[in-house]
Amino acid sequence: MTFVQGLLAGANELRHKAHLFKIRKPFIYEGLKFLFFSFILVFIAVQGINGLDYRWQWYRMPDYFYKISDSGFIAGPLFTGLGLTLLISAISLILSNLIGFITALFRLSDSVTAVAVSRIYLEVVRNTPLLIQLFLVYFVISPILGIGRMVSAIMALSLFEGAYTSEIIRSGIISIEKGQWEAAHSIGLTGVQTYRRIILPQAFGQVMPMLASQSISLVKDSALISTIAIYELTMQGQVAISKSFLTFEVWFSVAAIYLIINICLSMIIRIFEQNKKRQKNA
Amino acid sequence: MHNKTLGETIIAVDSVSKTFDRNVKALQGVSLKVKQKEVVVIIGPSGSGKSTLLRCLNGLEETDSGAIVIDDTPLNEHHRNKLKIRTEVGMVFQNFNLFPHMTVRENIRTGPRFVRKASLEEADRTTEDLLARVGLTDKIESYPRQLSGGQQQRVAIARALAMNPLIMLFDEPTSALDPEMVGEVLEVMKNLAIEGMTMVVVTHEIGFAREVGDRIIFMDEGKIVEENSVENFFANPEKERTKLFLSKILENGGCE
Ligand SMILES: Nc1ncnc2c1ncn2[C@@H]1O[C@H](COP(=O)(O)OP(=O)(O)OP(=O)(O)O)[C@@H](O)[C@H]1O
Ligand SMILES: [Mg+2]
Repeated sequence: MTFVQGLLAGANELRHKAHLFKIRKPFIYEGLKFLFFSFILVFIAVQGINGLDYRWQWYRMPDYFYKISDSGFIAGPLFTGLGLTLLISAISLILSNLIGFITALFRLSDSVTAVAVSRIYLEVVRNTPLLIQLFLVYFVISPILGIGRMVSAIMALSLFEGAYTSEIIRSGIISIEKGQWEAAHSIGLTGVQTYRRIILPQAFGQVMPMLASQSISLVKDSALISTIAIYELTMQGQVAISKSFLTFEVWFSVAAIYLIINICLSMIIRIFEQNKKRQKNA
Repeated sequence: MHNKTLGETIIAVDSVSKTFDRNVKALQGVSLKVKQKEVVVIIGPSGSGKSTLLRCLNGLEETDSGAIVIDDTPLNEHHRNKLKIRTEVGMVFQNFNLFPHMTVRENIRTGPRFVRKASLEEADRTTEDLLARVGLTDKIESYPRQLSGGQQQRVAIARALAMNPLIMLFDEPTSALDPEMVGEVLEVMKNLAIEGMTMVVVTHEIGFAREVGDRIIFMDEGKIVEENSVENFFANPEKERTKLFLSKILENGGCE
């Protein structure tokens, strides 16, 4: 390597590292801006609440999360509510993706019946409120089928989110260009093999971010099932308030928990995507 | 190739017609026979039905009427026949159509593995042999987007060959390439012809047609206008329409 080449290589390396330094300045600037606006917001909020003459009793809140007694750790109502919210969300997430996937395939199939069924389902679910769907499932369908509260909640939530998931998956599938189908056809892959090996891997890769934000919607929408007396996070919050009158503290806590769940979800998704990008560029 | 012996008829097309959207007559009573080991070059103006004819040959497009028989198997509504013909007829596209989410290795071995049900080792061996043949051994773990157009097209050829086809169809395989990459792809195709592959090639590469072709078919408006030996086609074409077309493409260097 000549001296000049060495210099050039060095310069190149520096250029690649430059972004590491560059981040700093805007980062500090953005941070200051963020602090400034948060300060103003908090100030206004505190002023407003002072005006209400609200007596904060944050010290009572930990009891609603957990208790440490002689027999050890006892989960408080908000904690068990969180557990139930996570459980219901996880099951509904799996089911809604399954429903969405099948509905998307139905809609894209050649069968008139399958297309009709999927379209009716999509139209009904996407043009009525989730709350009404939930009541319909719980008060009308569940007595007929003899299913319980939990199953009704999961069913309503999965059907609702599944409709949106299906549209996302469908958009991913139809975004794959015709040439991919033709190439798969020309090497003799069957329809199922083409979907499995060629189309779906590409389609899911494309719509992953959209599916991820749909999963965040699902967690938020799950709050509605408190209306049929499922003791998940939101319901436990209501109960806690009716017992303690810690209205502000409880709602702030409940909101913070949802926020934390969804920030965690976003972070998992981002790590996942960055891994994928790194793999691609390797 | 002028000194090889051709075999039996392997493609028989009998008065095939195809209409798109009720009134676009892409093919109008096309008949054609191709023998084993023969290299047939199809040329013709844009929209003359060249791609449609090629796509009918491997069932990518359904015909409205007429019959197609490939290696004694009629291409009809029988699903089994269709599948058999797809595995016996390889196709190379203008835009390569490689699978972008797969490495070169995975692109090539997908056919052998999932259609031919070959073992992984077997499929990998086929893949390595084919990559050596198209001169891309060092790209085996690359993704398509990391390759030049010429390299991608060579991978696409290897992918089609991995199914061990009896017939290879090429639809303007070099039209999407930068000029400096055309040669490497034509070279691979020429070697394939020398090895005795039956080939139907849509191209405007006159040099390739002259050197490798056994027969030239000139199409216009969904019909075969002229069918001739390579020598006669360029030296003394029979039809006025052919002369006109040739004068046009020879003028501007082989491209329409
Ligand atoms: N899927 C389709 N739907 C509607 N019309 C089509 C379709 N495919 C082809 N056609 C029409 O059929 C005719 C023949 O098209 P084809 O692609 O076979 O021509 P070509 O000779 O390959 O032309 P080019 O040199 O431009 O590739 C054209 O008029 C074209 O517009
Ligand atoms: Mg064409």
